[in-house]
Amino acid sequence: MSLNFLDNYIPEQNTWDEMFSQEHQVRSPYKKIIEYLSNESAEDLHKKEELAKRLFMSQGITFTVYNSGEGIEKIFPFDIIPRILTAEDWTFIEKGIKQRLKALNIFLKDIYSNMFIVKDGIIPIDMIYSCPHYLREMYNVSVPHDIYVHIAGIDLIRDYDGTFYVLEDNLRTPSGVSYMLENREITKRLFPDLLPQCKVRSVTEYPGILYKNLMALSPRQISNPTIVLLSPGIYNSAYFEHTTLARLMGVELVEGKDLLVDNHKVYMKTTNGRQQVDVIYRRVDDEYLDPLVFNPESVLGVAGLMSAYRKGNVVIVNAVGNGVADDKAIYSYVPQMIKYYLNEEPLLKNVPTYQLDNPEHLNHVFGNINQMVIKKTNGSGGYGMLMGYNATDIEVENYKAEVLKDPRQFIAQPTISLSAAPCYLNKQLHPRRIDLRPFALCGPNGIEIVPGGLTRVALKEGSLVVNSSQGGGSKDTWVLAS
Amino acid sequence: MLSRVAANLYWLSRYVERSDGILRMLKIYYASSQDSISEFSWKPIIKIYTGLEKQYIQHMEFNSREVLLYLIAGKENANSVTNIITLARENARSVQDHITKDLWQCLNEYYHLVKDPRLIAALRKDDPISALDILIKQVMLYYGTAEVTMERGEGRSFMNIGKYLERSIQSIDILDSKFGTIDHNPDLLTDTTYWKHLLLSIGGHELYLKTYRQGFEAENVLEMVVLNNDFPRSVVYSVGHINRYFERLKNENTISNVKELSFLIGRLHSRIRYSTIETIQEEGLHNFLFSIKKDLYSIGNSVNEQYFGYS
Repeated sequence: MSLNFLDNYIPEQNTWDEMFSQEHQVRSPYKKIIEYLSNESAEDLHKKEELAKRLFMSQGITFTVYNSGEGIEKIFPFDIIPRILTAEDWTFIEKGIKQRLKALNIFLKDIYSNMFIVKDGIIPIDMIYSCPHYLREMYNVSVPHDIYVHIAGIDLIRDYDGTFYVLEDNLRTPSGVSYMLENREITKRLFPDLLPQCKVRSVTEYPGILYKNLMALSPRQISNPTIVLLSPGIYNSAYFEHTTLARLMGVELVEGKDLLVDNHKVYMKTTNGRQQVDVIYRRVDDEYLDPLVFNPESVLGVAGLMSAYRKGNVVIVNAVGNGVADDKAIYSYVPQMIKYYLNEEPLLKNVPTYQLDNPEHLNHVFGNINQMVIKKTNGSGGYGMLMGYNATDIEVENYKAEVLKDPRQFIAQPTISLSAAPCYLNKQLHPRRIDLRPFALCGPNGIEIVPGGLTRVALKEGSLVVNSSQGGGSKDTWVLAS
Repeated sequence: MLSRVAANLYWLSRYVERSDGILRMLKIYYASSQDSISEFSWKPIIKIYTGLEKQYIQHMEFNSREVLLYLIAGKENANSVTNIITLARENARSVQDHITKDLWQCLNEYYHLVKDPRLIAALRKDDPISALDILIKQVMLYYGTAEVTMERGEGRSFMNIGKYLERSIQSIDILDSKFGTIDHNPDLLTDTTYWKHLLLSIGGHELYLKTYRQGFEAENVLEMVVLNNDFPRSVVYSVGHINRYFERLKNENTISNVKELSFLIGRLHSRIRYSTIETIQEEGLHNFLFSIKKDLYSIGNSVNEQYFGYS
């Protein structure tokens, strides 16, 4: 590929371009890779792309889409050009996430015990009780080290001037970390020697840190506590991630039917009889965890699990009931939480959020609907959203009617344009919108974030939705050493 | 090892073994249908491998292609090769961290092969034997891969118990159906091609020729398929291997209550080992086979209860 491949790269208007500065200069972290790429032919890059696809397929890094009873294996689209963050960017992000997570953990402790934040009038009580993820079952349950969020995947985006914003806090069962790890492994194969040359920091510590934290949580003080990863099973779209993490940590991958509760203790059924379980890293939602307490139809969980949990005989990671803290309506109070609990100014900004059960906000949002994104407070995966700027009149009308039925379940945010990064598409580089999900691990010794994360990319031209269910893909994420 | 993992390995293995049995049987039956001057009936095969009702069997029993398609790719046939390999693969998928990557990839290929529309097209109008051979080769590759790569531990013992249990049940079913047909048609007793095909279908033809010099006789065939310790598909060989892998499990396991299972396996193994053609005939072949099969089922149930925690 000759140098002029950059000439065809047209940065989008009013958008922060990760590679190009406003003056159309290549930003410093991208210089090395651009130099590398300009020595490769278009053919070479195409070969790399094919290699990436082959590696994903043969290693079974796939998810299954079930269609008319038959499973089709698909790979999560991967763009070969890495997304690069400078050391300064990373230091800022790291600080910001640690601060936020610290406040959110205290909030969860507070909201499930004394409720000082409500009594002091920072958050209205209605806000809490109307949240479907606020679980009374968690009231006054003590969790080890007061850690509720052990694993967080906080989504960050960048506005047109490059400022980082938190889009959402994923505090329940955030997924995607296996892609952070696998994307890096693939990149090592695609660009030999380039990673050390660019001084890219390693992400391989992740499973080790997580394992160390899980060990430290064991309620029994024994040398080899039993840690399991609870998966909903092979039909779950993230099953690959579950097997990867279990393999990398050397813990047993279990399903609900492998566990039983007897006398408030959790056991797994082995060929050698019962074996007591100490820590459960669950990838099953709260609602399905225990059919005796939550959804009685659930076969993914374990009957009696909550009683064992409340007695402190087993630790569940992440804690149950975290959904109240990453609810999209509660989200708008996080900056106030940081001030209230930590007496600090928030480092990472929130996207301005309108509560639609507030009539003033509602009027404002409906009046400017083409500049708004409306979301369900408990939605995820990019479903159930209205993107005002490209919705049809009928869609808008239908959505408004939906909102009016129960405004508490909706919030609105002004459209944030998301930064763009170069992607290799059709043998050329094109800008596409991206976000960033770093994975923060919170253990008894504090919060650790491996330098990297999952960069999701909206591969469709002009699209702002990065979710894999909506045509999104991913990139390797490089954090450079200073 | 998790009970579910053990159960998945066991069923993975049973399904693969069953598919192997079906494929070999179909190949030989198809070949013999080409030798036949009278109308060739697939009835015994359909009866062994499907739960079809009489009227449906009558409907297809003389149509080779239809039977092949139904037994290999029939979506509504729970026991079709496609369906059982799908099940085998799902069992394997949830225990990927307990089987080797090579084995998983081999099984994955098998799955994609049997779902390949070109293969189905070949069964429909080209030479079915070529299509069957491709699949049979894949199963052999699977067994070779399992032998070479799998760790010698608990998991492999469960896989082998599943494999040999399935194999002994199949051998008995085939004998029972073959000899059952004779009750209605005693002429077959002296029909050499009839016995030759039976042996071919379970891969014992060459060994038979070396062992018995005086042509095909029902008694000799029976002796070989039930009592020959050197024939890897004989009942005694398979039960012997169930015993062998069970003994290994017993040593690795501290669970105390395997007495019943131990008793069942030991008794069955001895009973077959100390049978002769004469005692079997005295008892009546059908009764003998029936009681052996019953014992095999009890062993299966006991393995379920003891190790997998289902009852």
